[in-house]
Amino acid sequence: MSDLDRAIAQLRACRPIPEAQVRELCHKARELLIEEGNVVTVTAPVTICGDIHGQFHDLMELFRVGGDVPDTNYLFMGDFVDRGFYSLESFLLLLCLKVRYPDRMTLIRGNHESRQITTVYGFYDECLRKYGSANVWRYCCEVFDYLALGAIVLGASNTLEPSKRPVGPNESSTQEYINPDTEIEVLNSEGGLISSIPRQKPKVFTSKGSSPAKTGPPGTGASSFSKGTAGNSSGAVLCVHGGLSPLVDTVDKIRLLDRKQEVPHEGAMCDLLWSDPDEIDGWGLSPRGAGFLFGADIVKTFNHNNDLSLIARAHQLVMEGFKEMFDNSIVTVWSAPNYCYRCGNVAAILELSEDGSGDGIIARSNGDVNRSDGGIMKEKEKVLLNGPARRYRVFQAAPQDSRGMPAKKPVADYFL
Amino acid sequence: MSYGSVATAVTARVRATFEMLAPDSLMIYQAAGKLAITFAEDRSGPESSTDILAASLQRGCSAVPNTRIHLEFQDMSAQQIPNLLTLRGGPRSRGGRARGRGRGGPHSGNPELQAQLQKDRDVQSTDTDAAVSRLSAVDLGYLHDPFASLFVNGPGTRRLPIINRGTYTRTTALDILINAFLSHPDSTPTVPQTKQIISLGAGTDTRYFKLRAQNKHRHIIYHEFDFVSVSITKERIMKNNGLLWEDEGEAFFKALETVPGFGEHESEWGLERSKDGITETTYCFHPLDLRHLLKTSKPVRGLRTDVPTLIVSECCLCYLEVETSREVVKWFTSRIPSIGLILYEPIGLDDSFGQMMVSNLAARNITMPSLEAYKTLPDQKARLAQLGFTSEGGGQEAETVEQIWEKWISIPEKERVDALEGLDEVEEWQMLARHYAIAWGWRGTTGWEGLATLRA
Ligand SMILES: C[S@@+](CC[C@H](N)C(=O)[O-])C[C@H]1O[C@@H](n2cnc3c(N)ncnc32)[C@H](O)[C@@H]1O
Repeated sequence: MSDLDRAIAQLRACRPIPEAQVRELCHKARELLIEEGNVVTVTAPVTICGDIHGQFHDLMELFRVGGDVPDTNYLFMGDFVDRGFYSLESFLLLLCLKVRYPDRMTLIRGNHESRQITTVYGFYDECLRKYGSANVWRYCCEVFDYLALGAIVLGASNTLEPSKRPVGPNESSTQEYINPDTEIEVLNSEGGLISSIPRQKPKVFTSKGSSPAKTGPPGTGASSFSKGTAGNSSGAVLCVHGGLSPLVDTVDKIRLLDRKQEVPHEGAMCDLLWSDPDEIDGWGLSPRGAGFLFGADIVKTFNHNNDLSLIARAHQLVMEGFKEMFDNSIVTVWSAPNYCYRCGNVAAILELSEDGSGDGIIARSNGDVNRSDGGIMKEKEKVLLNGPARRYRVFQAAPQDSRGMPAKKPVADYFL
Repeated sequence: MSYGSVATAVTARVRATFEMLAPDSLMIYQAAGKLAITFAEDRSGPESSTDILAASLQRGCSAVPNTRIHLEFQDMSAQQIPNLLTLRGGPRSRGGRARGRGRGGPHSGNPELQAQLQKDRDVQSTDTDAAVSRLSAVDLGYLHDPFASLFVNGPGTRRLPIINRGTYTRTTALDILINAFLSHPDSTPTVPQTKQIISLGAGTDTRYFKLRAQNKHRHIIYHEFDFVSVSITKERIMKNNGLLWEDEGEAFFKALETVPGFGEHESEWGLERSKDGITETTYCFHPLDLRHLLKTSKPVRGLRTDVPTLIVSECCLCYLEVETSREVVKWFTSRIPSIGLILYEPIGLDDSFGQMMVSNLAARNITMPSLEAYKTLPDQKARLAQLGFTSEGGGQEAETVEQIWEKWISIPEKERVDALEGLDEVEEWQMLARHYAIAWGWRGTTGWEGLATLRA
C-alpha cells in the first residue's frame, strides 16, 4: 500500500493525516493543478457535484450514491470547505483522490476556497484546532490558488444509459430499459425512480428576455429545447461554481485569466465564483456583495455564442438538491444535504452519460485556448442546443452513527 | 413530620454527598458557614424544590468560592428527597458548547422528576447560547454592549455571520420596540410618565444595565424573572462588576426569607429608591420558575399595576406549555390595565427547516410547545388578540426577523453591518430569519403612542 493509499484510507475514516503528509500532498497537488488550464476539459461520462462544505459524512454518502472513485468520474464544483465540522478531512480526501486518480477527479474552485472567506466561515479555525497551527490551512490555501475556475464537459449523450450502479439489496436492480426520449431522470439514493421527464419539441430562442420566467420546481414542468438534429451528441456543458460575468462573453476569455491568486474582490474571476442566476433581465447587483445577478437572456446568449447546451453551477442552497432554470439552460446542483445540519434540504448530484455514437471520444485535455469556434453558430438560426440527458440522484444526510465514523452529533446554532 | 427531623436527615445526607462530590467546595462552604438549607412552606410543587436543589448543586460543584448553597424543599418526606449524586451536573460552562448536562448515575430518585429536572437545566442552558451569541455580535462590531463580555466565561465563541446578523436584528428590533414604548409624546409634562418593563426569562440579558448606562433608567421600573440558577449567576456577575450602582436615593436590596427554625434564604434582589418617605422598586430580579407564578401566594415585589407596563418575552414563553404561557401573560394582564407584550420566538414548523429545528432542539432535550400552536405570523397575531390586545383600545402586529432586517434597518446601517464580515449565505439567512417572529400587542389609553405608530 502506498503512502497515498494509506492517507486515503485514513481520511476515509475521517481521521486527519499528519502535517508533514499534508504538506507533501499539497505540493503534489499543486504540481498537478498547475498543468491544468483555467477551464478543464472533461469527457462524459461524468458525475457533477455541488457544494460539500465540510460535511464529510455526507460526502461519503455521496460516494455511496454516485459510485466510488475511480469507478465514477467526478467533477466537484467547489466549496469543499467551511461551515461543516470536517472541512479538513473532506478537502484532503478529495485532494488525495485527485492526486491518486487525476483523470477521474476534477476539482474547480468555489468562492470558499479563499483565505479571506475561510477565516470567517470555519476552515481556518478548524485547521488551528486540529493541528495547533495555521500551517495546514496555509498549505491548503496555496492549493486553492491553483484550482481551475471551470470545466467544459464534452461528449455527453442526449439519451440516458441504464443506471449501472448497483442498487440496494431490496431494490429492483439495474434498470433494464430507458426510454430514449427521457431527458431528465430523478432517482433516489437507492437508485429508485422518482420521476422521468421526456424531451420536448425544439423551440427557437428569440433573444432578449422574452422567455417564460420560471421553470417551477426542479425537474417538473421542464421544457427543453432541442436542435432536432440526428446523432446522440449534445452541446458542451460549462461547469463553474457561481456563474457568469459581464466581463466574460466567451469561454475563451476565462482561459485567458491569470487565476493563480487569492480570489479578488471584483473582476471576472470573482464573478465566476460569486454570481447567481436570477429572474431578472440582464445584469443586477448581488445581495452577496460580490459577483452579479444574471438573467435568462444572459445565459441563453452566452450558451448560444459558446456552443453550450447547459451551464452547471453550484453556490446556492436548493432545498430539492437541484434546480433547472431559464428553459433548462442552467442548473444549480447542491450536494450538501441538511446544510449546516440545520436547513433540512436534500442534496443532488448530476450524471451525464457518455455519447455512445463513437464520435464523442475526446481525450481529457487541459483546456487549450480556442477550443470553441464561437463564430460559426452565430450565422445559424438561433436555436438552443440540445441539452444532454440528465440523471439526478437525490440523497439525504448520512445517518450520523451508522458507519463507524465519529458519531459526534453536530449541533446547529439557533437564535435562542 | 416536623421540619427539624427532616432537616437533620437532609443535612447529613447533603453533607455526605458534598463530601463525595466536591470535598474542596465543602471546605469552603463549611468554613464560610455557607451551607444553608431552608424549607419553605406553601411553595410550589416538588419539581421546583428539586430544580432549585439541582441548580444549587450544579453551582456548588463548579467550585465557585463563596457561593451560597440554597436548598429548598417543600413539604417532602425523606424518601422523596432525591439522591444528590444523581442530580449532579457538570460545571456549567458558559464559554462554548458544553451543555453541562447531568450524567444521571443510578436513578434512585423519581425518574419523572429527574427527567423534568434535566429538562429545566437544558432550558436554562439556552441562556448561555443567547449570551455567547450576543458577545460574538458585540466583539465583531454588530452591536455595542459593554456588558456582554461579563456574562460569558472566557473569550467566547465566534458565531457565523448569519447568526451574528440574526442576533443583531433581534436585539435591534427589541430596542426599537422598547424605545418606542419608553418614548414620550411631545406634549409630555415636566415629570414624564413612569413606565414598567417585565422581562420574562430575562436570563443574563444586559438590557437594563445598558439603560442605566445611558441614563434612561430614571422613570423606569424594571423586573426580570428567571430560574434561581440564573439569578445566582446574574447576581454574582452584577455584584463583582458593580453593575447596579446606587443612583440618588437608590439602595440595593436583597430579600431574605425567614423560615421558622432554619434561618434565612435569599429571594429577590435589586434596587429601591426612597423619595419623600416613599420607597419604590426600580429594578428587581425575581428568582422564580414562571410556571409557579400562578400558584404562588407571595406578592410580586415592587410590581406596579397603575403604570403602563410592557412584558417582554425574548425567547422565553416558547418553552412553556401553551396553556401555561397564556396564563402567565393573563396573570399580568388581569392585574395591570395598561399593558403590552413583545414576543420573540421561532415559527414556521411546517417546512423542512422547521422540522429540522424541532429535531435539532429535541436532540438538546428542548421542546417549544409554541411552535406547534403558532406556526405563522397570523397565528401570532391571533394569539395576541386572544390575550386581549385587540384593535379596540390597542392593537397587535407581527413580523419576521427577515422582514425586520429588510424594512427596519436603514440602508447605511445595513451597509455598515454587511461590511463587518460579508455575508455569503443569502438563501440560508433568508430561510433562517423567516423562522423567527417578533410580535407585539398593547392595550391602554396613554403610554402607547410610540408603540402604536410602529408598523410591521
Ligand atoms: C433563550 S434564553 C433568553 C434569555 C434572554 N431573554 C435573552 O434573550 O437574552 C431563555 C431564558 O428563559 C428562561 N426560562 C425558560 N423557562 C422559564 C421558566 N419556566 N421560568 C423562568 N424562566 C424561564 C431560561 O432560564 C433562559 O434564561
